[in-house]
Amino acid sequence: MVNKKVSRRQFLNYTLTGVGGFMAAGMLMPMLRFAIDPALQVKAEGDFILTSQKIADLTDVPVRVDFTYEQVDAWYKSEVSEMAWVYKEGDRIVALSPVCKHLGCTVNWEGDRPNEYFCACHGGRYEKNGKNIPGTPPTGPLDEYEVSEKDGYLMLGKKIPNTLV
Amino acid sequence: MYFQVKDVQQYQQNKEFIDTAIVPLVYLDFAEDKMVKSSSDVEFLMSLTSFIEQQFKGRLMLIPPFSYTESTRSEQVVPILKKNIQEGGFKHVIFITCDHYWTNLQKEVDVIWLPAIPIESMDKDVKKRILEEQLKQVIPVLTSKWTQQ
Repeated sequence: MVNKKVSRRQFLNYTLTGVGGFMAAGMLMPMLRFAIDPALQVKAEGDFILTSQKIADLTDVPVRVDFTYEQVDAWYKSEVSEMAWVYKEGDRIVALSPVCKHLGCTVNWEGDRPNEYFCACHGGRYEKNGKNIPGTPPTGPLDEYEVSEKDGYLMLGKKIPNTLV
Repeated sequence: MYFQVKDVQQYQQNKEFIDTAIVPLVYLDFAEDKMVKSSSDVEFLMSLTSFIEQQFKGRLMLIPPFSYTESTRSEQVVPILKKNIQEGGFKHVIFITCDHYWTNLQKEVDVIWLPAIPIESMDKDVKKRILEEQLKQVIPVLTSKWTQQ
């Protein structure tokens, strides 16, 4: 047996480097983690919200599709309910926002005349594809929602300017 | 619209379109056995009025609730409140409440009285359906006001 004695100086050197190394790593790791954080964020399916509307049930007549999501405003958490008018145009699914482009009321399908959206507030009218009918208060077409599908159910994404008009 | 800076600024630019104010009259009861019921009524009325606001955002402004207790409830105050709001440019001032007391005032001011429904324990979808049903009670009052002129 070789009896190698560790000197007091050596022992202190080893322990201090060891502990110092751990401390440095402890400080650097979170910094590194923060630096590359955006790359690690999981994108929740591009912020699409699943609805209970079956794609197969859609027709060329707009139906109302309700959906909810949680909104956090400072310390105030609230559940926001929104809806969309959804119909099929050939193979394409169109989801329109019901928010009137005049002052933000909710428009209804065939609320006044057939085959049109109608805003009860100031009589705004839109065609089925969301195009505002000239001579009524709205100044632009209804917004559209991005659409996606999951297991046969409709998913709605971000609101985008109308692409049909 | 709500009584918030952004909405108020928009209101001031579009006064000719936003002609209706909705004021919830909220009864607060702090008695041990009545506080829960009172809060339930308030919750219902607040949910319903927000829902009305969402549907008719561009035509009406939801005023913050006017709250009172049994001893501060006064028949004189509400007509004055109505007058003050009208001076701000609102043609129609509609009060909405779950407190039956105000139905006495129906000759002087427009009051919509609705029996409170305890929605706090309900599931999301049921709650929504109930609010939609209640909204249907309110719509005729609004449209009759709007078509009068």
